[in-house]
This record gives sequence, structure tokens and C-alpha cells, in this order.
Amino acid sequence: MPSQDTVRTDSDALSGTGQARAPLLQIRSLEVRFGSETALQPIDLDVLDGEFLTIVGPSGSGKTTLLRVIAGFQVPSAGRIEFEGHDILNTPINARPFNTVFQDYALFPHMTVRGNVSFGLKVRGVKRNQIEEDVDRVLEIVGLLQLGNRYPAQLSGGQQQRTALARAMICQPRLILLDEPLAALDATMRQQMQSFLKSVQRKSGITFLFVTHDQSEAITMSDRICVLNTGAIMQIGEPRQLYYRPANRFVASFFGDSNLIEPCRVTEHAGRFARISTPVGQFEVQCDIPDRTQGLVLTVRPEAFVAAGDDHSNIIDFEVVAVNFVGSETVTRLRHASLPDIITMKSKSASGARPPAVGSQIRVGFDKDQCSLVPAAEHGS
Amino acid sequence: MRGSVAGLALWAVAVLLILGPLASFLVYGFFSVEANDIVYELTLANFADIAANSSYLTTFFRTLRLAFEVAATNLVLGYAVAYFIWLRSRLWQSILIVGLAIPLLMSYIIKIYAMRGILGTNGLLNRALIMLGVTDEPLTVLLFNLTAVRTTLVVVLLPFMVLPIFVALERISDTILSAAKDLGARESHIFFRVVLPLSLPGALVGAMFTFVLATGDFLAPELVGGIQGFTYGRLVFSQFGLAYNWPLGAAMSIILMIVALVVISVALRVGNPRYLK
Repeated sequence: MPSQDTVRTDSDALSGTGQARAPLLQIRSLEVRFGSETALQPIDLDVLDGEFLTIVGPSGSGKTTLLRVIAGFQVPSAGRIEFEGHDILNTPINARPFNTVFQDYALFPHMTVRGNVSFGLKVRGVKRNQIEEDVDRVLEIVGLLQLGNRYPAQLSGGQQQRTALARAMICQPRLILLDEPLAALDATMRQQMQSFLKSVQRKSGITFLFVTHDQSEAITMSDRICVLNTGAIMQIGEPRQLYYRPANRFVASFFGDSNLIEPCRVTEHAGRFARISTPVGQFEVQCDIPDRTQGLVLTVRPEAFVAAGDDHSNIIDFEVVAVNFVGSETVTRLRHASLPDIITMKSKSASGARPPAVGSQIRVGFDKDQCSLVPAAEHGS
Repeated sequence: MRGSVAGLALWAVAVLLILGPLASFLVYGFFSVEANDIVYELTLANFADIAANSSYLTTFFRTLRLAFEVAATNLVLGYAVAYFIWLRSRLWQSILIVGLAIPLLMSYIIKIYAMRGILGTNGLLNRALIMLGVTDEPLTVLLFNLTAVRTTLVVVLLPFMVLPIFVALERISDTILSAAKDLGARESHIFFRVVLPLSLPGALVGAMFTFVLATGDFLAPELVGGIQGFTYGRLVFSQFGLAYNWPLGAAMSIILMIVALVVISVALRVGNPRYLK
């Protein structure tokens, strides 16, 4: 029986890309406690060479603590971090081959863009000609060549962000740690910076470890995502994997709008196929089946629901609560007497389509392979 | 409407209580004295007298130099003290800053008398020197000269120097220091490339205020300066006392005020560096 509710930390998480990358960092049993409070439960995590790995989780999940431990600002209570096979916990911050992009950028206000960017080279005693050359090269990459003589106070948020990135990149680190670098930007600028960061990462080949609380940011930017909650790893995997094959209730509800139907139990199962009993009916599912039969949650993505004909094996009758036309798609809110929460259905808008009337009954179906079954308990063992 | 009325009222208070008295006093600088009576006719004669009197000018420039020395000494001492306090824990910072601020609440005269007690013939310093065997007899060079004035001013004005530097250091955010460390900087790099340049404007402003306070001071020179420690402040003071020449004293004050205004306007420029605009 496959045990899909255990956390995937193994390298099969990357099976989708078909690339086998060597681990750059190996984090083992890393634990951080502040007094009696546990900020980070013992966690294992590999950061692969050249990947864009995102640590995502709600506030207080321990993601910034993890970043600070890797950067060297925080000493862990227990555990190891190996960089290419060598333990680096005793390596001082300024000797680790990592650089950080801070949440508030932390630019030196008394230095120009060039001054900020060249700082890492100056303190290493690099020759002036070489510094000028490198600064030009990095500023070119981040598109700030024209603004080299400006002071941080004269830059927009996005430009400050680029400066901070250039300043981290110029030291040619093996790993760049980014602590919620887009949190302070407005929505438009954030989207621009998302694709910008992604393209810089791809071109430079530097490993990015990106921390955010924003699940959509994590999904759009990352090669892999590590989901943290209350100091424990909930799941590690590629964005599609977390979205379509969540390991537990937390991950299922954290990414995108998810419809959670619970409690469910398995009445019959063979391999990836199972019949389940839920508060809204008996369904057939074809997905990863947890190694338990009780205390399960059925999750169905809003876009997996379709207005049903009788050919669907999985059918639910709902009452329409609201219909929102949002352009390319129409969002329908549905209620069922046996479910505490409102169910969301998203369908492609079509010009001739007539939306269902609010208050009317609607029959909705979903395919057996367009859902997932996860344990209700959120444990990160 | 209400806002502008309140604004006018504040201006009226400022003019009546601060600028008015100041102006009514400074205008004396343009009067003259004849046979112990003030002649209320506008004239620049006082300024001509000052410019022509070499002993006035010598005193003036000696005082500027003294104030500069006090400010420079305090810049170095104050920076060291502020930096020391800045590196302590939150609790110790509070304790040390309060300890430093307590003398500011004490009477100025009492502080100067305390310094006189320390520097005097039977003072703390002399007793200590005799006990340590550095000298057999009490040193008389410690008091009633320009050095005594300098020492007293340094001690008395030190808090004015430490506080602005400490504030400037406090304004340096932790993440900036983290960033410097993260970029590979050693402690000395962090100090000389980040901490010092970011706190120096505050420190220079402190030094300039110390300078202004030291140029105008007359109590410290009067009480610990003796005959040798004669300064411009005492010169002004004597015009209002012994010499009974208010117009000349007022004219001298105007010159002192111009020096103060120039230094303060420079301080405002230095304290608001280009990179913040």
C-alpha cells in the first residue's frame, strides 16, 4: 500500500523534471527552540544545486527562522547543515558562500547603487578595475546600469529590490536567500519582479532559496516548494504536485481555492482506485490513497467541478448561493445541507452561456481522477 | 480657519516671548554710551570699536579656538562613550543613558563648582596624584587657567555630545548591519564603511552644538578660569557688569550670535546629508 500521507522529502519529488540535481545543502534534523517554544521542529531538507526552491507557509510557520539559520544569523538548537558535504554551522556568516536579499532590502543609505553593489567585493579586497567591471555586468543584468549613481532614497521599491539582488549576486554566491523580498511591493510591481527574479535565477544558474507567505507566488516561481506549518514540513514537491497531489489537509487548503469535503472513509480500494463514502454521497476516486480508511478529506479543485450530465460517476446536488462573472471565468458559490463550508466552482465563461439563477438547484460532477484524498490530521512526521 | 488662528497665536507667543525680548536687547548694540548714560541713537560705533581693539579680537579668537578644542575633544570622547553604550544590551543602554542624562538636570553652577573641587589645590585630583606619588606638593596648574576651562567644558558638555551620537547609532537598522555581515564584511569593515559614515552626521551636529555652547559660556571661565582663562563670554559679561557698557556688550553678543547661527546652519546641512534627499 503506498503511504502517500507521509511527507515526501526524497528525490522522487523531482521525477517530473527528469533532471537529477546534486544537493547543494543537506539539512538534517535541524531544530530551533526559543526557550520552551519550538520555532522549527526537527526537519530534513535538501536544497538542490541550481534550483529555485520556495519555503512557503503562514506567519509563524518557521520559514524565516529556517532562512536565518542557513544564512548564519540564528544558531540552531540541534541538527546539521551540510554544504556540499561539509558541515557549515560553525562557519561564520561572512565566510558562508551565501548571500541574502532582505525583506526591507537593507540597502546602505549612504552609498549609491554602485556603492551598494560593490560593497561585497570591496570588503574582499578585490581590485578596483575588477570591481568596476563586475558592477557593470551585474547592473546590466538587473537593468540598473543607468541609475548607478542614485542613492537608495531616490529609487522606487522595484529598483531598490533590483539593487539588493545585484548586491547579493555580485559576490557570486552558490546560494541566494530571499526573505519575502516582494512583500513591500504593490501588486503590479510584484508580478513584474516575480518573472524578473525567475529569469535572473534561470540565467545565472544560482540556487535561489525564496521565502514567502504567498502561495500563488510560490506556485508561479518555484521549481520546488517546501510547505512549512507550525515549524514542521508539510510537504516538499513541485508546484503541480502540491496543487494536484497534496499530502495532507493543510497543503490541500493552502494552495489555491480548495473544496474540502469531510469526513470521508474508504469503503473499498484497489491500488490508486477507491470507493469512498462522504457526507454528500458515495464517490469513486482515482488518486493517491492514504494508508488509512478513516478520517480522510476529499479535496476537489474549483476548476474540477463541471455542470454534470448523468454520465458522471461522481455527482452532487447543490443550491446556488452566488454567481460571479470575473471575465474569463465564472465563479459559482454552492451550498450543500451536509457541508459547513460553501463550495466553489470555477468554469470558463462563454458568451452564450446562461449562468444558473441564485437559489436554484444545480447538479455538479467531477471526474474520479480530478480530486485527491488526504488525511485530516496535519502531521509532518 | 481655526488652524490659521491657532498658527497665528503660536507665532504671537514666539514673537512675544522669544524674538521680542531678544530683539529689544540686541538693538542696544546699535546705541552708544556717554557718561554712563545710554544714548538712544542708532550707530555702528560699537562694531568699529570692537574691530579696532586688538585685545577684544585676541580674546574672541582665543575663545573660538578653545571652543573648537572642546568640541573636537568631545567628538572623540563622546563617540567612544556613545559607541560603548550602543554595544551594550537594552537594559544597560537605558541605565547608562539615564546616568548620562542626570547631570543635565543638575544646576550648571553646581557642576562647575564640583569641577573646581576636583581640580583645586586640595581637590580630588591633587590628592590622588599625591597619594600615587606622582607629585609631592599639590599642583596649582590644574585650576585657574585656560586648561581648567577646557577640561571643565569638556566634562560638562560631554552629555550633549554623547546623546546625539547615540541617537544616530540607534537609527542604524539591524538588518543593515546583518546585510554588511552577510556580504562578507569583518567587524572593522562594518565600523568604518557602515557604522561610522552613518553616524558621523549626527556626531558632527553634536560637535557643532558643543562648539556653540562653549563659545558663549561665561560661567565656567569665570569660576575656574582665573585671570588666564579670560574668554569672550566673560568679556561680554563684564560689559554688563563692571564696565557698565550695555551697548558694547550687546554688540559683542550680536557677533557671538552670528557665529552661532553660522555654525548651526552648517550643522543643519551636515546633519541632513545628500543621500537622504
